[in-house]
Amino acid sequence: MSSRMSCLIANEVSVIREEHYLLKDISLEIKPATITLILGHNGAGKTLLMQVLHGLTLPDEGVIDSPPASRQRMVFQKPIMLRRTALQYFNFVCPGLSIPDQHHWFDSAQLTSRMDAPARRLSGGEQQKLALIGALAAQPEILFLDEPAASLDVEATMLSESLISEACDAGTTIIMTSHNRAQAARLADQVIFMDQGCVKEQSDAKTFFRAPQSDAGRHYLAFT
Amino acid sequence: MDLLTSFHLAVSLLFSGDADLYEIIFLSLRVSLTSVSAALCIGVPLGAFLASIVFPGRAAVIILINTLLSMPPVVIGLLVYMLISRAGPFGFLDLLYSPTAMIIAQFLLIVPLSTALSRQLFEHLHHEYNPLFSSLRLSLWRRIIALLVDAKLSLVTIGLVSFGRAISEVGAVILVGGNIKHATRVMTSAIALETSRGELAFALALGIVLLIIALGVNLFSAALRARMDKADINV
Repeated sequence: MSSRMSCLIANEVSVIREEHYLLKDISLEIKPATITLILGHNGAGKTLLMQVLHGLTLPDEGVIDSPPASRQRMVFQKPIMLRRTALQYFNFVCPGLSIPDQHHWFDSAQLTSRMDAPARRLSGGEQQKLALIGALAAQPEILFLDEPAASLDVEATMLSESLISEACDAGTTIIMTSHNRAQAARLADQVIFMDQGCVKEQSDAKTFFRAPQSDAGRHYLAFT
Repeated sequence: MDLLTSFHLAVSLLFSGDADLYEIIFLSLRVSLTSVSAALCIGVPLGAFLASIVFPGRAAVIILINTLLSMPPVVIGLLVYMLISRAGPFGFLDLLYSPTAMIIAQFLLIVPLSTALSRQLFEHLHHEYNPLFSSLRLSLWRRIIALLVDAKLSLVTIGLVSFGRAISEVGAVILVGGNIKHATRVMTSAIALETSRGELAFALALGIVLLIIALGVNLFSAALRARMDKADINV
């Protein structure tokens, strides 16, 4: 089982499709209550790695040691909205909260006025925030976020970043992908840099952004 | 008798409260509502099952259902006839030429339709929701409930389509019902008979009722769709 020093450990994990390695020999260790950013070009395998770590896709090789599935949540790049109101969606993904608690979470995302709106009628940014509070309200040990800023404007990005930071301070381990380098530099404690299905670098965020160790990492930072 | 006179007579028949006419209309509604309700009870869960569970032979079952979907009603009538006629395996139940026989025939006609439409509906919905359901590690039971809740209005439209097919069907009900007055005469079989006898006004009156029912079903469907579009809950 995972020790107190690490929340999630992956050991030589590979995913193989039609004799091609989509992920190859990935070993990593994530400390609890930290924010880890998975960086890399499109097609580097970032989303697939998150899905494997979350247990949505089973690895063909290797083992993953992580908290029980019920203590994990994931917010998808394009949130999957049920054909229900925003509040009904929230209660579906995080059942059993009291009405004041429900209001607290909708307030925190500035969505209170949208509680009774059909979830699929919300804007992309509102759906992203709704999915985020639905995941945070469950107080998971690990939260996976796939491009959480993809459809957010500046104000909403700041709001969701503060929610993410608060959750991390409260003990949730965050693993996220982002194309937004400024956001990455603001939030991340640790960076996992991926290229062609392999982890090229796993380092402290400050170190990575100041002086990346790998050629691929330097190349990536030079062009983003 | 020209068309206009027939139409005039048909309308006055409808408003006169003619007992024979209304007996036929009510029997039609009873038979079709019963058969469609029973068919939906089987077709919807079967469609949901086929959409969400992969098992050996699934493709064969889907092909079989799609084949049954295009089977002419009169052939289904023939099969039911062979099963329940005196010489058939269920002859002892004495069902031939009864409303029950007509319900069975319409049931067999509607099950493939409601199964195929439900499967399409649930397959689409399940494909969309599956990553979320898997991430939340929902049990099969909770998945099915969630799919049913989110598909409820679309399921009503499937019910309406099925009802429209059942009530307008003639080949199967004539074969197994026999079109017996005061017993198994429904709107479609009565129209066929009355037209052949030259009683065009009576036939047209029933035709008008069928058209009104079709119109009502379509208006209801359109209203449902408008409501689903407004809340963006179409599947």
